Order: sequence, then C-alpha cells, then structure tokens
Amino acid sequence: MEQPVIEVKNLVKVYGKRSTAFTALKKINLEIQKGESVAVIGKSGSGKSTLMHLLALLDRPTEGNVIVDGIDSTKLKTKQLNTLRNDDFGFVFQQFFMNPQDTVLENVTLPLKIAGKRRKERRELAMKALRTVGLADRAKFKANDLSGGQKQRVCIARAIVNNPKILFADEPTGNLDSTTGEKVIKLLFGLQKKGVTLIIVTHDEDLAKMCDRQVRISDGKVTEDSASQSKTSTKKPKKSTTKTKTAKNQTAKGEN
Amino acid sequence: MKFFDILRTANHNLFRNKVRTMLTVIAIFVGSFTIILNVAINTGVNSFIDEQTASLGGDNFIMLMPSGSSEMASSMVASSEPVEFVEKKTGETEVGAFSDEDIEKLKQIDGIDADSFYSPAPLSGTGYYASDKTDKKYEIQNLMILPPGNFKIPLAAGELVDQNEEAKKKNQVVLAPGYREALGYETDEDIIGQTITIGIKNEILDKWTAIDVEVVGVEASGIVSSSMGTLISHAVYDALADAVYEGYPSEYRDNQPNYYIMATYDTNRFSEDEIKQAIADAGYEAWTVSDMMGMIRTFFDAIMIVFTIFGSIALLAAAIGIINTLLMSVEERTREIGLDKALGMSSGRVFTEFAVEAISLGFWGSAFGVVVAMFIGTLANSAVHAPGGFLAELPTFNLFEFTASNIIPFMIIIMFIAFLAGTIPAWKAAHKNPIDALRYE
Ligand SMILES: Nc1ncnc2c1ncn2[C@@H]1O[C@H](COP(=O)(O)OP(=O)(O)OP(=O)(O)O)[C@@H](O)[C@H]1O
Ligand SMILES: [Mg+2]
Repeated sequence: MEQPVIEVKNLVKVYGKRSTAFTALKKINLEIQKGESVAVIGKSGSGKSTLMHLLALLDRPTEGNVIVDGIDSTKLKTKQLNTLRNDDFGFVFQQFFMNPQDTVLENVTLPLKIAGKRRKERRELAMKALRTVGLADRAKFKANDLSGGQKQRVCIARAIVNNPKILFADEPTGNLDSTTGEKVIKLLFGLQKKGVTLIIVTHDEDLAKMCDRQVRISDGKVTEDSASQSKTSTKKPKKSTTKTKTAKNQTAKGEN
Repeated sequence: MKFFDILRTANHNLFRNKVRTMLTVIAIFVGSFTIILNVAINTGVNSFIDEQTASLGGDNFIMLMPSGSSEMASSMVASSEPVEFVEKKTGETEVGAFSDEDIEKLKQIDGIDADSFYSPAPLSGTGYYASDKTDKKYEIQNLMILPPGNFKIPLAAGELVDQNEEAKKKNQVVLAPGYREALGYETDEDIIGQTITIGIKNEILDKWTAIDVEVVGVEASGIVSSSMGTLISHAVYDALADAVYEGYPSEYRDNQPNYYIMATYDTNRFSEDEIKQAIADAGYEAWTVSDMMGMIRTFFDAIMIVFTIFGSIALLAAAIGIINTLLMSVEERTREIGLDKALGMSSGRVFTEFAVEAISLGFWGSAFGVVVAMFIGTLANSAVHAPGGFLAELPTFNLFEFTASNIIPFMIIIMFIAFLAGTIPAWKAAHKNPIDALRYE
C-alpha cells in the first residue's frame, strides 16, 4: 500500500478556553492518498475550514497528529514547516485574504517572493498563473478593484503559482457563476491529472460528485467517507491501526 | 536579492501611511538634531582645545615656576592688550627666578624629563614696536625664540619663523594677535612681508637700538597663544641680546634668570595631580595643560551635558513614537502578516521586515537631523566669526564641527535605538499565529 500524503489521527480542535471552549473537531481520522481529489462537505459551521487549516498545517491541533508524507508534523522544524507550506502546498482561502492595496500581480507573486525567487522569474510564473485563470489583463489592477469572482480567481492563481503538490481549496467556486465555475473546476481537475492532490471544501454537490472521494463532516465528526479504505470516526479509535483495512461503504451514520 | 526585497517591502510599508511615518520621522529628527548639534559643538570645542594644547607642546607639557608666581603665569594666559609705550626711567621689577640649584633639584623630580627643560629666556628689557603706518609705539611683549619640538602655533596669516640654519640668520618675527591693528595694518595678510621696527634699550649705556624685522606671520587669537608672545628668529634674538647686554660682563648675559621652565613629564606614569604634587613637595609650582584648559573645558562640558540631556529626552520620546507607529502598523497589517506566514514566511523574516522599518525611520530621522544641523551649524559658524560675532577674535575656533567620524557613529546609534524600539512591535508581529491573524477583523 502506498503511503498517504496526509494522514490524520484522532484530530481534536478546541477553540477558546474554559467557559468559552468549543470543540470544532472531535477525533477525526483520515488518510488522503497521493493524487486523490477529496471533497469535504458539510453544513456551515460543521468544521470543514477548521479541518482544512489543520491539514494544511496552518494551525495546531489540540490533540492528535497530522502526518505528511509519513512524517509527524509536530516533529518538523519551523523552517521545514514553512518550506513545506511555501513549496508543496497551495491554498485558496474561503475569505480570499488578499492584500487589497497591492496589485493583482503582487498578490499572485507573494508566495514566490517569500520563496526568495528572482523578480523576473516571479513575474513570469505569476503571469502564467493569471493566464490560466483568465485574468492576465488585470495584472496591474489593485486587488481591491476586482469583482468577487475575479478575486476568487486571483486567489486560485496565487494558490497554483508555486506548482503545489497538494492544493487546498476552501469554497473555490463559491462566488462564481456557472460558466466561470466550470472553468475553475476544469482547471482544478487538470491539475489533478498532473498529479496534484486536491482537497476541496465545497457546498456545491456537483463539484463534490466530480471528486474521487467525498468526506462529509457534521458537528466536527466525519459522518461519511466514500473511500472504502478509509477509517471513519464511527469506528472506535484504536491505537496504531494504520494497517487495518476496514471495508466500509458509504455508511452514513448519525450520532455516536 | 532577498535583503533587497525586505528593504523594498519595509520602505513600501512606511510609505503607505505617509502622515504617521512623517510624524515619527519628525520626532526622531528633533532628538537627533539636538544631539548632533551638541556633538558638533563638542567636536568643535575639543578640536580647538586640542589645537591650543598642541601650541603648548601637547598633553605632557608642564610649566615649572618658582613658588608664588602663579599670578604671573595667569597674566600670561589672559590675552594682554597692546599697551601704549611710555618711556620709564625705572628698571623692571624682578620676579622670583630659578637658581642653578633650583633647576638641578627640578631635574631630579621623578617623571619630569630633564632633557626637555627649556627656558625661553625672554628678552624683557624696555622696548617698543613701531611701524611706518603709525606714530605710536607699543611696548614689547615677551620676545622669544620658538621652542624646539612639537609646538603647533595656530596662525591667522603667514608662516612660523623658519627653524633651519639658513633662516635663523634672517630677521623674522611672528607677531602676537592684536599688534597688527595697533601697528596700522588693515588685515593680517597686509602685514605679512612688511618690515617693522623693534626698539630696545640698554640700561647701562642708556642707549636705544632699533632693529628692522620682517613680519612673517601673525598668531591667531587663542586662549593661550598670548603666552607665546612675539616669536623671533635667532638672528633677531642675537641682535637684540647684543644691544641689551652691551657693556655688561659676559657672565651676566650667560646667566639670565629663568623665570619659568617649560618641560615635559611622563604621562604614562603620572597623572597631572601627581606630578603637580611632586613639584609642590619640592617647593615649586607647576601648571599643566588642564590648568590652562580646565576652565574652558568645564564650561563647555556643562553646556554639553545640558544639551545632551535635552536631546536624550527628545530621543526617548522619539523611540516611544517609533514603538507606537509600528505597533499601530502591526495591528493594521495583522491579516497581511497572517497571510505571509500562512504562505510560509518565517517569523525571522517578519521580524526583520519590521525591524528594517524601524531602522529606516531612524535613518531618515537622523539624516534629516544631520542635514538641518549642518546647515544651521554652518550659518552659525559664519555668524559668530563675522565682525562683532562672539568668536570674531578666535578665527580658528569652529563652534560647530561636523566630521564623518562624529556623524556616522551618531547615525548608527540612532538607527540602533530605532531598532531597539522596533523590536517590540516586530516581535509581536513575528509571533502571530497565521490563522488567528487571518481571522482578525
Ligand atoms: N477562532 C475561532 N474561535 C472560536 N470558534 C471558532 C473559531 N474558528 C471557528 N470556530 C467555530 O468552529 C466551528 C467550525 O468553524 P469552521 O470555520 O470550520 O466551519 P465551516 O464548516 O468552514 O463553515 P462554513 O461552511 O460556514 O465555512 C464554528 O462553529 C465556528 O464558530
Ligand atoms: Mg468554512
């Protein structure tokens, strides 16, 4: 069996402290294989974004481990962690997160600038990414002056500019009309064909169906996982059960 | 490349909020302006004092006097105005002089360099200066040959009397400040190369001798230069001595009293106080360079301490301004920092960006401070040296002196203070958790 690119074990995320403490994720177990496209679906507030942030090593879990390429993320040095995020990961944030006063081009080059790439190379790669999302003509615009859909596409351009191995996309089609949405979807699956692992948080059932696998989250738990080899939280958590293969077919269960 | 990026980013960020940046720069400017002016005065005063010290032969110089003659010495420090000459019948009053035994005793004092003993043997007979330009005559001052050694006497014009063998035969003088005008010349340059007359009286024969001498230089007014009196060449000294001692027994001329002795002492082994104590124990008095410079230095030091305190308070306020500016900036840019960090920027680099911003603020503030201070200092220098200005009499005294060696370390210090102030906000920025920062509204 191939090693999963990302594996999480008993992931727990608690926000706040004491009286305001809120458990957003409750013992999540998940294995994501290389080259897979995974749709994370669920109601608003169920913990999808929280999970994505933890998978992308943007935040630390309260309990449990995130294992990337077989290495426990807690064992990584800060510098390795930064390099990993900068080189191998691409993010599309739900709220875009752009620097509104900078130009579109500056926003897209940001990951390359952080990587310490030369200006010329930065420009070339960024323009290529912008062409891919059909916004090359907006390169010199202030990011703030774009429409919502355009902003979303800029964010996608920024996420792919560094040729990531894993792309995390939180609602990548949330603000797009169906035509543009389809373009973006085509783009994403085009990347998957090139070997990129896709982890997409979405409300869009159509998009979710196009993915190899659907993981449904509700109330901080995985309630449904279309992948047969994947363990779900319906199983009692076992210690060091990586090798256990449980054939399980789309069993949607309620509370447990 | 990376460093250049950081520098660009930092300055770009400073430009985003121009008003706030400018106000912070002004705060730093005020502090650095005050201090750099102060540093410039300090440099100016010290280089002037050093120049004056050099005219005494350096820090190891000591003037030995018979006990009780400080009063005479102090009259030499205060610049004496030319006194109109009126012929007197009476001889000069005798001041205490060193005997041969005294000199031997002084040479035995540990630390004093016996070989350095030099007694200028002033020709202190009755005499006058005269020139073609005026009917008045002026009483002579100390007439002395330039002591051998390291004496750098600041000149307002011309050159020092030549010291080589050939030149010793020429009748040359360097006039003390003030005499040029008294002798009827407009500027210091005008009198250079002119011939004036020194008249001297032989008391025994009651006979006057006039010697024509060429003025080769005019001493700059200083704090101590008047103690040099008029510097004369060997030829002038010999001619005057021949006239003064004509008819005296030859022993008399050879055994002129030494009223004071210039010497050097070992500054490595003895402090000024120690050597003075040793000399006092032997029953003599001594003046060190500090005695002559001390009052002036103390005065300027006091002023400078006051200014430094003002400047430092202003800088402290400026440093708080830097902290405030950058903290606000960190607050404003929280999401941006979060994004940078989410995309893999290291905490170190976030810290560096903010630190570089702080250093840039320090740079601009101090650079403006220096430029404006130099401008004002230069204006002030020419104002105080203009006729009627309070330093008009001391042409070599630059009140404000700006040099690379006082400006550059100063700017580095300001930038360092700015950096220190910047570390607080920079640390705060660097330690943000990316997701929390991104969620910040
Ligand atoms: N920083 C935080 N502090 C406290 N609670 C938080 C924080 N972030 C998220 N939560 C809570 O955790 C829960 C899950 O949030 P999350 O953003 O993961 O939801 P989501 O599934 O992405 O929802 P949506 O589809 O609306 O984006 C929510 O109830 C939210 O209120
Ligand atoms: Mg979400």
